[in-house]
Amino acid sequence: MSRTCYCLNCITPPHILHKLLESSDKDIRQAALNTLVTTARLRGERATRASFAAAAPANGRRTVFDCQRSTQLSSAIVARTEDGSPATDDSANRAFEGFGATRQFYKEVLDRNSIDDRGMRLDGYVHRGVSFNNAFWDGREMVFGDGDGRVFTDFTKSLDVIAHELTHGVTEHTAGLDYHNQSGALNESISDVFGSLVKQWSLHQTAAEAEWLIGVEVFTPGSEGDALRSMKAPGTAYDNALLGKDPQPDHMSKLMLLPDTDEGDNGGVHINSGIPNRAFYLTATGIGGFAWEAPGHIWYESVKASNPQTDFQEFADTTFAKAGQLYGGGGVEQQAVLSAWREVGIRISGALTAGGAGRFRATPAGAGREAEALAALSKQIEALSAQVKALTKDVGALKGKKLSVGV
Amino acid sequence: MKVTLATHGGQAAGINLRLPPREVEADALPPAAAAELARLLAAARATPAPKDERAGRGGDVMSYTITVDDGGQQTVLKQSDTAMTPAFDALRSWLEKQSATK
Repeated sequence: MSRTCYCLNCITPPHILHKLLESSDKDIRQAALNTLVTTARLRGERATRASFAAAAPANGRRTVFDCQRSTQLSSAIVARTEDGSPATDDSANRAFEGFGATRQFYKEVLDRNSIDDRGMRLDGYVHRGVSFNNAFWDGREMVFGDGDGRVFTDFTKSLDVIAHELTHGVTEHTAGLDYHNQSGALNESISDVFGSLVKQWSLHQTAAEAEWLIGVEVFTPGSEGDALRSMKAPGTAYDNALLGKDPQPDHMSKLMLLPDTDEGDNGGVHINSGIPNRAFYLTATGIGGFAWEAPGHIWYESVKASNPQTDFQEFADTTFAKAGQLYGGGGVEQQAVLSAWREVGIRISGALTAGGAGRFRATPAGAGREAEALAALSKQIEALSAQVKALTKDVGALKGKKLSVGV
Repeated sequence: MKVTLATHGGQAAGINLRLPPREVEADALPPAAAAELARLLAAARATPAPKDERAGRGGDVMSYTITVDDGGQQTVLKQSDTAMTPAFDALRSWLEKQSATK
């Protein structure tokens, strides 16, 4: 007996699925997203997610995927979307909330629209691999491990780690600091700085109240580690038989010369970051108040003014210059920056430091007019910046009216 | 045959830098474990590392070096978080667990 097989091969064309992403019905958008993700997985393509990232400005829309212990991101399933209900998975919810806090910090404190300042989507992948003791930014998305359960726990538990990783994206879209040697250590430090600031801002802590520790929450309660790094006292985050001693230096005299290889942590990017980390801590506590205000703005403007090869000296000089431009030459802020870098072994190029800080604090008679001119210039720059910010908001509002928002 | 696993970079880079590589002596393993190691090694060797499209980008990506010393011959397998085959990850994970139980 012959059997007739009625096989109907139906594949919804991608252009229809993309159109459904614009639906006002969130269930339809969710179904379209799930289908596209599944299709991408079957085809082994990751280009689908690239097209999401390259789509119209998404205002930092968040999507969290569950890798279900696989290392292949293409096989991950959607766990939570921007407009969706909370996930049943705590890790997905923590990643989602951490992304939100970081996005809000950059918007409210630094007037930055997501990682690229153009509303780049925030995609996160939780439960990556088995016993994965890490979290990383891969240039497009953030990936979290669950930890081995002995020493490390779920990396979504640490807000400063989440903000640290997303800040790698910010650095990529601004200075582009090369991830090796001093520029790489600076890259790492910038991530620690803004990682810590997001946490302090969320807790409304002053610089004096903050712990200045990175990754406290990623250690299991039973492990002896205090934190991954200490910005206040580099080299003291941990010291025990299991983990060894924290190798971070706190001064240029202790700079570690490591090979620029994987084995050498690319010239010690996670090691020598202790030096600029401490410089920021000293600047923040020297100025006082909230570290995300003057210190955070000085550092942010300095990152934007840096380039892929910027080293510690050049960055220090830039922070000094920016402090003067933003808050006035010779002010408390600039003095704090100068002292901070000096304390970690870096002298600001060109600053009037001969004879010590005392001479810098004094305002010689002939420099009075120069100081006034600098202050006036600073005010003009502030006024121009405010106008640019207002224009940017207007443009953003216009774009929001014309473009529909995807999932 | 001795198999070592070294881990580099990542959020815990400072710790990874100081820790010695994890070692597994195949000759000292029970037969079933030795057979499992051989199977995992063969699978990892047979699947070449994918091209790392993210090389040079991102932050805190870890890399792993698995070195096999077998009768004077040495094989080195190296992959990273952003370019890793399931077979390599299975071997890496097994080596971590095996060395942790010592």
